[in-house]
Amino acid sequence: MKEVKVEVIGPEPPCMRCQAAKKAVEKAAERLKQSEIKVEIQKANVMSKEIVGKYGVLVSPAIAINNTVKIMGRVPSEGEIEKLIRETAK
Amino acid sequence: MDEKTVRNIRTAILLLFVFTVIGLLIYSRVMAYSLAPTMKPADFHGLAIWEIPIAYLIDYFSHGWICLLFAFVAAGLVYEFVPKEAITKYMGSGKIAGYGLALGMAPFLTVCSCTMVPLFAGVLFAGAGIGPAITFLLMAPAANILSILLTGELISWELAGVRIIVSVVVALTAGIIISKTPWGKAVEKEHQLNVPAGQASVEVVKPPLDERLWASLKFAAYLAKQILPFFLVGLIAVGYVEAYLPQDIVGTYLTGVTGVLLASVIGGPLYTPTLVEIVLGRGMYELGMSKGALLSWLMGQPYDVANALAVSRIAKWKVVLTYMFIAWAGSVIFGLLYGFLSGSL
Repeated sequence: MKEVKVEVIGPEPPCMRCQAAKKAVEKAAERLKQSEIKVEIQKANVMSKEIVGKYGVLVSPAIAINNTVKIMGRVPSEGEIEKLIRETAK
Repeated sequence: MDEKTVRNIRTAILLLFVFTVIGLLIYSRVMAYSLAPTMKPADFHGLAIWEIPIAYLIDYFSHGWICLLFAFVAAGLVYEFVPKEAITKYMGSGKIAGYGLALGMAPFLTVCSCTMVPLFAGVLFAGAGIGPAITFLLMAPAANILSILLTGELISWELAGVRIIVSVVVALTAGIIISKTPWGKAVEKEHQLNVPAGQASVEVVKPPLDERLWASLKFAAYLAKQILPFFLVGLIAVGYVEAYLPQDIVGTYLTGVTGVLLASVIGGPLYTPTLVEIVLGRGMYELGMSKGALLSWLMGQPYDVANALAVSRIAKWKVVLTYMFIAWAGSVIFGLLYGFLSGSL
């Protein structure tokens, strides 16, 4: 069983597009359960100093997989996220 | 069919759609076909109360749909294809780069209001300083691509151009002034991170072209869904304003120096990020508002209250009040100047 950490980075309170991004990640995680990949989803605040310190200025919604920002400023499809997580888990 | 062929076909269909939309706009230009409502205040006389919004909406949409479709598609495409990584990479790298990026990128990035305040915070934390952060914040709503396109189509391209120039000047001035004030410096110091912002961990993936095109159209639809309901309500209101507001009231109060002052004060609270101010401004202009007053009406947006509240959670109220004051003063000064230069004060 492999573990992958996915951070969904958006403003707090979350905006509509960030919620859409989070939903896509949740769906992808659900699908990946069968392939022995455990996805840990975290919600991160784009307006916090930790996140800016870690990643720099981001355009929200952003998605980081295992501490690397892969998606910025758009809502990806669940299929795309699934592919990205699989690649990372390899 | 293999995946590649499917992708190519999808890309072709989407590109065809995009070029059709652009083509429609060019065609309407070539045929000198007005995309703005053509009804004049006098046309409303004799209509029943319930007929006014219907007549105005029909008049608007029979012309305006091309313009709206183009504006939303263009905003979606620009937002998707603008290199967002440039912000991440260079925003923390220095004052001049910071100001340049803030002015250059803000109009393209912030058609969606939920990105604006987070970016303001990010820019501030990353060490570009409060100046570029404020410039970004003011530039974004004042000259974003949707409002410029609509100002150009509905009112005039001259005014759209003036709006861009004035936005740049005001946003830059406000940024520079605030970065020199003691309270601006205090905010900057409080929020600056001691460690350099980490950039090694950003590797944005680019999906294939067909997916990006589809995503940009989806974003265009999202924008339309957000904005159009308000826009419709605004149009109905404008219909009534044109029908019932006597021309001599507008002619008396919304011209000259008083007109500029009054327009700058009314324009601010009216501002919603929904383009209503453009339609309403056009309505008032039809009724005799001067060009100078129209400009300060449109420039009233930066002191929008909802944004100010969000910003005040990060920066101090003093900073918010300073930039609001500078934005207001800018709208008055440039309203007067433009009115004077264009001979319509």
